[in-house]
Amino acid sequence: MSEIRLERAAYGVNGREILCPLTLTLDERRIGVVGRNGSGKSTLARLLAGLIAPTGGAVMVGGDDLFADRKAALARVGILFQNPDHQIIFPTCGEEVSFGLVQQGRNDAEAAARAAMAEIGKAHWWDRPVGTLSGGQRHLLCLVSVLAMAPEWLILDEPFAGLDIPTTRALHARLAALPQRVVMISHDPEALEGFDRVIWLEAGAVAADGPASEVLARFRAAMEGEGDDLTDLAG
Amino acid sequence: MISLTSPVETVFHRWPAGLKLALLCVAGTGLFMLASLAGQLVALALVAAFYTLPGMRFARAGLAALRPVALFAALIAAWHVATGTLAEGAVIVLRLLSAVALANLVTMTTRLADMLAVLHWLTAPLRRIGLNTRPPELAISLVIRFIPVLSEKGAALAESYRARSPRRRAGWRIAAPLAGLALDDADHVAEALRARGGLSEGARK
Amino acid sequence: MSKVSERDVVMIALFAALIAVLGLVPKLTLASGIPITAQTLGIMLCGTVLGAWRGAAAAALFCLLTLLGLPLLAGGRGGLGVLMTPWAGFFVGFPIAAFVTGLVMERMRALPVAAGAAAGSVFGGIVALYVFALAWYMLAKPAGLGEAVTVAALPFIPGDLIKAVLAALVTQALAKARPGALPSRG
Ligand SMILES: Nc1ncnc2c1ncn2[C@@H]1O[C@H](COP(=O)(O)OP(=O)(O)OP(=O)(O)O)[C@@H](O)[C@H]1O
Ligand SMILES: [Mg+2]
Repeated sequence: MSEIRLERAAYGVNGREILCPLTLTLDERRIGVVGRNGSGKSTLARLLAGLIAPTGGAVMVGGDDLFADRKAALARVGILFQNPDHQIIFPTCGEEVSFGLVQQGRNDAEAAARAAMAEIGKAHWWDRPVGTLSGGQRHLLCLVSVLAMAPEWLILDEPFAGLDIPTTRALHARLAALPQRVVMISHDPEALEGFDRVIWLEAGAVAADGPASEVLARFRAAMEGEGDDLTDLAG
Repeated sequence: MISLTSPVETVFHRWPAGLKLALLCVAGTGLFMLASLAGQLVALALVAAFYTLPGMRFARAGLAALRPVALFAALIAAWHVATGTLAEGAVIVLRLLSAVALANLVTMTTRLADMLAVLHWLTAPLRRIGLNTRPPELAISLVIRFIPVLSEKGAALAESYRARSPRRRAGWRIAAPLAGLALDDADHVAEALRARGGLSEGARK
Repeated sequence: MSKVSERDVVMIALFAALIAVLGLVPKLTLASGIPITAQTLGIMLCGTVLGAWRGAAAAALFCLLTLLGLPLLAGGRGGLGVLMTPWAGFFVGFPIAAFVTGLVMERMRALPVAAGAAAGSVFGGIVALYVFALAWYMLAKPAGLGEAVTVAALPFIPGDLIKAVLAALVTQALAKARPGALPSRG
């Protein structure tokens, strides 16, 4: 299995630094990312998935530059966007799930997509227009689309946002059983309990990085101590 | 997306799309070279027979599809009446009707997927010389995806316009906000596309 | 022309869809009895907003899908029949019109957005399109220049002039709402 290496990888827009140069090697099975709103978590996720190129340094997955080589990227990394409406491209659920498989060059794209939907008990969604799904249901659809492609790494940007308790629980169990490596961004420290490693981002830099129990305890303590004031939100 | 393919299943539906397109080219050239009025009349009768073969329901649909040509035929006819070149005008109007009807026949009996397959086949030489035809193919499926989305947004814009304006119809006034929405969408869709392989060459088949 | 990016492809597809959707805007009928629709407005916008080659690609994509059998032309027309009338040049010429419109817009950077867009729309959406379409009419029907101008050009010119003005207004509104968002001026 491939590891993700960041070597002084930085990202800035219009001269404003969003991520400070980061040097990290990710090769644990379960990695959590926490941090306040605007701390750069989603930007890091997009960098890891090769959706954006670092403005400095390099990001390599198993030796591949995923920004340049999109074909390699498909087998390496799948990403679940924070906002499902930004992820969904096609008008019906079936097309949406099949698309990634077609892009991977699979001949059995449709059958595999149907199987993936059946696995979460949503086979009847096949012809359903995406617009008729609720927000949480859309999130689920996006997740199925990514899972169906079976990449080595899954980058999940707040996968539980907007899901109800039974769905969250079912999904949690499903994710725990996945053979893939996972990078999960979450605002809920409980969702990251038992992870091999947690990275805490603050204003685009790593505030803490280590075993889940340790980092989460410090993160919790810091968050409880924060004021009830919105003015210090990054950005 | 609703296409112009007829729901009435005809024999022509079963013909290969490439064959139909080739025959249409031949027939179109033939019609263009045929200068005799009698010949054009026979040709039109033949085309009409093709339409009645699958039954009256299909023929009526075919006739409806010809309606937009009426304006063009009338303009041509008016010119030839005005200049006193009636025989020539008749040949041209008949040719126009036959040619449009034949082309419509191909459209009505060929599914979009089959047309796309012919296109894919026709562009094979481009791929052989190393050109990537994936971007245009992807663009085609994106347009089919965007049309219903944009027209829904257009309808919503028109409604919100009406809600705050004494005018009954928004008309072209929604063009600017609609184009703006299209530009905004572009970034998100482009990123979603990248996340799943983007334009990577040869990803398909 | 640099390498095509995902964003280019998406933008081209979005504007091809925009041309189609503008064809759905209810048409008004001029005194001459000729319907005018917002569809050529869409073609002009492709050039003024996207620039020459992207605009031409969007228009070409729209034409291709129409020919393949989608009812995208105003009034729900489409399919191969569109090619068979002597007026087909007005349809086949869409990519050329968008290209010339975009070229003028790109080359006349010194002009304000509205003026550049108006000039582009007139040169591309009217002059270039009509030259091409009239030549097509004369070959396809066949006909002489006088007939072509009377039957195929004059009835449509007033509507197209209105649309060139609208294209300029819409482009200016876009440039104002999204500074720096016009690829044609990017
Ligand atoms: N395209 C962009 N242009 C300018 N600034 C941006 C852009 N994208 C993100 N930012 C800024 O970068 C910072 C980090 O954003 P990011 O989306 O990565 O945060 P996040 O940690 O995911 O936040 P959240 O918890 O709210 O999802 C924010 O301050 C944001 O305003
Ligand atoms: Mg985020």
